[in-house]
Amino acid sequence: MKTDERILRRLVIKTYHIEDVVLGNRILISNRRLQISAGIFDKILTKFNHIQDIAIEIIPPKAHDRWTNSIMDIIPISTKVLGKLGEGITHTLTGVYVMMTGIDGAGNQVAEFGSSEGVLKEKLYLNRAGTPAEDDYIISLNLTLKEGQGTNRAAILEAHRACDLFVQEIRDKLKKVDARGYTEKHEFFDKIRMNRKRVAIVKQVAGQGAMYDNLILPQEPSGFAGGRSIIDLGNVPILLTPNEYRDGALRAMT
Amino acid sequence: MGIGPSTKETTLHHFRDPLLDLVDKDEDIDLVGIMIVGTPQHNEEKYFVGKRAAAWLEAMRVDGAIISVDGWGNSHVDYANTIEEIGSRGIPVVGLSFVGKQGNFVVKNQYMDTIVDFNKSLQGIETEVVGENTPDYLDAKKALALLKLKMREV
Repeated sequence: MKTDERILRRLVIKTYHIEDVVLGNRILISNRRLQISAGIFDKILTKFNHIQDIAIEIIPPKAHDRWTNSIMDIIPISTKVLGKLGEGITHTLTGVYVMMTGIDGAGNQVAEFGSSEGVLKEKLYLNRAGTPAEDDYIISLNLTLKEGQGTNRAAILEAHRACDLFVQEIRDKLKKVDARGYTEKHEFFDKIRMNRKRVAIVKQVAGQGAMYDNLILPQEPSGFAGGRSIIDLGNVPILLTPNEYRDGALRAMT
Repeated sequence: MGIGPSTKETTLHHFRDPLLDLVDKDEDIDLVGIMIVGTPQHNEEKYFVGKRAAAWLEAMRVDGAIISVDGWGNSHVDYANTIEEIGSRGIPVVGLSFVGKQGNFVVKNQYMDTIVDFNKSLQGIETEVVGENTPDYLDAKKALALLKLKMREV
């Protein structure tokens, strides 16, 4: 530690790289292989009033010459192992990301200001910070909302909640993987750099309604449960520490 | 108007945001925090939250701020107002936004002289390709360099 720095808190993010994703009857993470299960969807569909159907598909790298409905979100699979968001230890999978897409029962795309349905390779720009790399797997969750629900805020929230329940099952396994078997380990500090220029980052985010919303500080990194909508918070400025933000404190619902 | 597919910052983008990474690693900068401010519907609320954001920054005694927005059109009303509120308090401010050819600012003010345009499409439009027009490391570098220059002038 440098003498002109004061450490406030520490966050460790361990990555576990995945090279193969398969569908099975239960969830397993071992030897860089992720097995997922669609078992939870039946339960979700009986409880969630706005969702008509959820279809799961594994899209291998470079197999993007296929149809996609409008992309609602790309979500990393991460979980807290120790501490709360922004400190302690987080496990995250690399090489695989969840893609949420949406349509309603009448065939309307779930989107607010332009939509991204079409051939996937023409609609998803790879290798950006917010999109998968060309060698990554995509777990596609295509949600069909009931007719006319694509512009209903409650239905969109339900869609994110359903997706989060699916991811949570993987998170629960990811919590228990061998702590020393990680691929990469990154250490981050919230700190004060004394006598340096004090700078804040301001992020203006959506906050008006369905598909124009953001969730702050969910229980799990990039999760949904426990988060607060910026709309419900009155859109007023909320401060996050650098470590909270990089630990998945902001869930995009745009 | 709001957030189109190409400027939409996904949850994954926020998880590994190049802007945070770059500013946080710079040894000359004391990054005090990330402020999340919403984009409400009505003008009165837009001005309310923009002013609160600026009041926070003033109270935090920051030497400068970088403000990024992931929508355009109507969101630029909030954006311009918040920048004005920050700038008029004597705080150097640099912006990041999609502009291109389609997203010219509907309102502008004197504090918007350093805006990094993160459009990446040749046509300068909302291409409806997810991830295409989102800020990357180079955009973040430009913004931080501009802010350092502005902070030196104060």
